[in-house]
Amino acid sequence: MNEVLIQQITKMVVEKLEAVSGGQTTQQPASEQKVQLFSQQPVGHLAAEAQHASPSGAVTFHGTTEEVKPQRNIATVKPKPTTAFGKPKAETKQTEEDHLAEYRKKTPARVGVGRAGSRPKTDTWLKFRLDHAAAVDAVFGEVPDNVLEGLGLFQVQSKVMDKEEYIRRPDLGRKLSDEAKATIQERCKKSPVVQIVASNGLSAKAIEENLEDVYLSLEQSLNNLNIEMGTTFYVDKGRVAVMDDIGELLKPDVVVMLIGERPGLVSAESLSAYLCYQPRHGTIEADRMVISNIHKGGIPPVEAGAFLGTVIQKILKYGASGVTLVRKEG
Amino acid sequence: MSNFNKHETIISAGIDIGTSTTKLIISRFSLRNVAGAAHVPRIEITDKEVLYKSPVFRTPLQDAVTINVAGVQEIIRSEYDKAGIQPSQIATGAVIITGETATKRNASEMLHQLSDEAGDFLVATAGPDLEGIIAAKGSGSYEESGNKSSRVIANIDIGGGTANIAVFQNKQLLGTCTMHIGGRLIEFEDGKVRTISPPVEQLLKDQGYSLQPGDPQRAPAVQFVTSYMAEAMARILKKEVHAQDQVLLLGHEPNWSQPIDTIVFSGGISECMYRHSSDEEQAAQYDDIGIQLADALLHNQLLQHFTWQEPVETVRATVLGAGTQTTEISGATIQVAPHELPLKNIPIYQYDFEADLEVGLSHFEDAVHQAVTLYDSAKEGQNFALYLSNLPYLGFRDVQTLAKAIVQIMNQRPRPEQPIILVIQSDHAKVLGQTLAALQVKQSVICIDQINVETGDYIDIGKILASGVVPVVVKTLTFHTT
Repeated sequence: MNEVLIQQITKMVVEKLEAVSGGQTTQQPASEQKVQLFSQQPVGHLAAEAQHASPSGAVTFHGTTEEVKPQRNIATVKPKPTTAFGKPKAETKQTEEDHLAEYRKKTPARVGVGRAGSRPKTDTWLKFRLDHAAAVDAVFGEVPDNVLEGLGLFQVQSKVMDKEEYIRRPDLGRKLSDEAKATIQERCKKSPVVQIVASNGLSAKAIEENLEDVYLSLEQSLNNLNIEMGTTFYVDKGRVAVMDDIGELLKPDVVVMLIGERPGLVSAESLSAYLCYQPRHGTIEADRMVISNIHKGGIPPVEAGAFLGTVIQKILKYGASGVTLVRKEG
Repeated sequence: MSNFNKHETIISAGIDIGTSTTKLIISRFSLRNVAGAAHVPRIEITDKEVLYKSPVFRTPLQDAVTINVAGVQEIIRSEYDKAGIQPSQIATGAVIITGETATKRNASEMLHQLSDEAGDFLVATAGPDLEGIIAAKGSGSYEESGNKSSRVIANIDIGGGTANIAVFQNKQLLGTCTMHIGGRLIEFEDGKVRTISPPVEQLLKDQGYSLQPGDPQRAPAVQFVTSYMAEAMARILKKEVHAQDQVLLLGHEPNWSQPIDTIVFSGGISECMYRHSSDEEQAAQYDDIGIQLADALLHNQLLQHFTWQEPVETVRATVLGAGTQTTEISGATIQVAPHELPLKNIPIYQYDFEADLEVGLSHFEDAVHQAVTLYDSAKEGQNFALYLSNLPYLGFRDVQTLAKAIVQIMNQRPRPEQPIILVIQSDHAKVLGQTLAALQVKQSVICIDQINVETGDYIDIGKILASGVVPVVVKTLTFHTT
């Protein structure tokens, strides 16, 4: 997405709004809310941020409580709720709201957020912008070193050079760089039963928030089940299928890949665990399986780790994963 | 090893041994993983199918105060045969002893004997409050209360000995009340009064009527009793408890706070009103005030102030509730020691973490002391289940801290070698169970989650099913007030 363009448009809209509001609203400087739509310390996208001083940093929103109402008294402005008998029915509204409350309890989606005219309300819009910004940050962000150091993981690179290329060239994200191959050969235990790999994928935030809990819980689970683990490491800018390269190098029975999911507007920090029995070059996608939605608002990371242990146990028992596993299980 | 993708079915039985009748029901539950393929499984009961409904039997009695246990067993055995079911096939369900039968001399002994014999995991239940709740679930009132918002529905289950009222709103229990109102409280023989139950005798005395065994069936006193019962029922539903009605109350006074909108009658008396199974009417010649009572309720003016709703089930509401509405399914990711199951009648002690691990752990020891005081004051070794609610978001190191604290407090029980039974509100059972295993605890660990219980509830935990879940029956007696 072209962020520069978005910023330019935002600036134009805001300027226009301010010009118009000069005529229609009485500004109240006291209640001005400064809203920061973008982080002031941009990460990962420095080129874009440096060229244009961010106009959004200076955007202000004004309390619109004293808005002068348009001098129109046409019936279409606000139709009164009526029943077939023409009487306003207050109860109906009450019930509707209750129903929406029920729905809201069941989903984090933006249900029944209301509207202002044909547009979303300011709150909703700001929340939307914030969630979108968090999603962008998750993709372009980096995993802090201390997360990886804390777990004693070393880091290797895929064939991708930078984030732009990562997005444009999924095929390169599926390959290890030559240097990575050498490092892995040198530092990893060969032919382990389970090889765990972490990668930022499309959300560095997912790794930052969840890796430790999933990993430690999974490690404990495998220990309890007496299943041997290899040397865990981190692949920067990897894609799921990079496990095939890893499978060829280390020949593990099972690869578990903990990778950041493409962020959405509900959560930007959701982690997936992809599992595959003996992934090698030529492994088909149907033989991979996934436990997704691992984050605070989804499956608790600690519980996911504990569950993964039993899934791995099952994969080893049947010597299969994905669709083949389902078929063998009967 | 658990297979989450398989479609599993289990057989459930419900047995209702009431004041005048005994019924049995066999049903089949379908269990499915309702979570998407890429998610951690979630197993739910997706379908319930009633396979067999027994006829309505007279409850066999030895004498006025003793149940004929052999007779009841004979009924169950022959009905299982007719349904083509072996006791070993029954994975869950409940046997409930209701009405005045529960006060018989050998009631509790028989109940536990039956629950052991008649199935692998058949739960024994009794108590007028629970009876009312189960009947409301079987009659459809409970389900109905969730359909239209904020309607307060009272289910009134009237059998031979008692009327059990359970009040629901939005599927939340608001309160219960039990009354001495039932068909069998005056029995006839050859057109003459044969027996009068003590509460009715007292009522007649209070109101200045006299009725003796041998008096004609059409005596005005009989007429008076049924219409008085209908009036008292209307007053109780409105929570206007008069001093002269106390004689008909069994246990506590009505304890709901919202006014009742809709009433639903179930039980044998409701059958006399609605005739759902009219083909069986001939068999049901009970020679008591049942039909007159139904008539009196139907024609009472005060009761007409409520909206009436017909039940889905009449005489079989309780047995249907016991057979199909008592079982819950645990979360799919749990950790249980299979050899310890099934576990029956485990009292719950709830410990609230108030969303803060540190705060929660600072008083954690009290949980064990209070649970022991509550359930095992004589320190005879009655085990309990610890229900951990309102846990904060837990990282792995938090889980380790929690697990260590659990081991420490559980070792302070009078008999520390008993299994550690944990019920967790949030989805953390597997990791907590595994962490306890990693700590190499001496005790067996039963750690399940996603079941809602409270202090005062009792739970029964069944054997682990092929889907990796356990059936759980919660016997709750708590009320939700708004």
